Amino acid sequence: MHSPMEQFEIRRLLDFKIGGLDASFTNSSLWMIIAVILATGVFVMGMRQRALVPGRLQSVAELGYEFIANMVRDNVGDQGKKYFPFILTLFIFILFANVLGMVPYSFTPTSHIVVTFAMALFVFVGVTLIGFARHGTHFLSLFVPKGVPFALLLLLVPIEIISYFIRPFSLSIRLFANMLAGHTMLKVFGGFVVMLGLIGGWAPLAFIVVFTGLELLIAFLQAYVFAILTCLYLNDAIHLHH
Amino acid sequence: MRTPVYSALAAGLVSFAVSGAAAAKPAGMPQLDVHSFAPQLVWLVIAFVALYLVMSKLAVPAISDTLARRQAKIQSDLDAAEKANEDTRALVAAYEKRLADAREESRRLQREQAEADSALATARFTELGEKLNGRIAEAEKRIAGQRDTVMAGLEQMAGEIAHSAYAKLAGQPADGAALGAKVAAAVKGTSR
Repeated sequence: MHSPMEQFEIRRLLDFKIGGLDASFTNSSLWMIIAVILATGVFVMGMRQRALVPGRLQSVAELGYEFIANMVRDNVGDQGKKYFPFILTLFIFILFANVLGMVPYSFTPTSHIVVTFAMALFVFVGVTLIGFARHGTHFLSLFVPKGVPFALLLLLVPIEIISYFIRPFSLSIRLFANMLAGHTMLKVFGGFVVMLGLIGGWAPLAFIVVFTGLELLIAFLQAYVFAILTCLYLNDAIHLHH
Repeated sequence: MRTPVYSALAAGLVSFAVSGAAAAKPAGMPQLDVHSFAPQLVWLVIAFVALYLVMSKLAVPAISDTLARRQAKIQSDLDAAEKANEDTRALVAAYEKRLADAREESRRLQREQAEADSALATARFTELGEKLNGRIAEAEKRIAGQRDTVMAGLEQMAGEIAHSAYAKLAGQPADGAALGAKVAAAVKGTSR
């Protein structure tokens, strides 16, 4: 019996270094590249005809575009337009990585905390820089809730600051933990099927079937949550209100 | 969105892994193998930047261009339909105006014709009446003339009858003047 953690192992497919940096091509890299190629297929091949009446693939590309465009417009407003390609990329990258991770024997790059944390940290640092660039030191007023008595501020400002700095952690751990837990659960129940054999194995197998559906939903949902939270953080940085 | 079960499980796994990472070899979680971080991050940057370039340089302009063209097409079609609708309404209005004008014209012509006809009829009637009146007057004059002639003839005839009757009764010719006056008086008395 394999460990349920084995599916998360990074395997080096091609060893090489850039300078002193280990840039080996791993199974994680492979599935990231596959995600990028498939996303490119949908969004570039799908839009090749630029038809006024879209075909199937073009409809999918437009659906994804409008989904995120509406999200940015509703949550950030017109000033968010500049950041729309980034948020679209973020959503599509996470979505494709998550969904491709549901393919048997594939690998889920987003099940590694270092990947999700890198993305969350980039969002966090980027949003903070945008906030300071737009508002200067006035950006710090984000930590001071309006219309609150001074005594309460002593309590609330530290809470606001802590919750602000927790953002990259909650953002990255939410995605990573969902992927990790879902895949582990599937593997564990897969183990149960083998253990209980032909007689009792059907129950965990049925569970796996249902749970796979739920996992697909979560794969989409976590990409959505990551994108919408990025929008909300961006909105805070641009509009300075909660 | 956050499933509590997952969060709890993940927290457990993370704490378990952190304690495990203190040991030299990370036995449990491949996620905490520090040696795998560099390649993952390098390829994350490569893949993400590649996708970002594809999205921002190719996909987003293509889709926004297509959506804008579609919007413009729909708008221009709607405008054309609106214009056609207005044209139709204007045509119908013009048609109805012409129809009303034609009706009005026909009523006017009818009225004028009727007036002209009645004037003509009146004129003819008057003319006919005058002509008839003339002929009636002429006829009356002729009748009066004839009556006068007849009356004169009658007086003479009565005088002659009276003369011959007197001569036969008296056996001698009558006094012409006295008898003539008497006959004339008698004739006048009976005729009127």
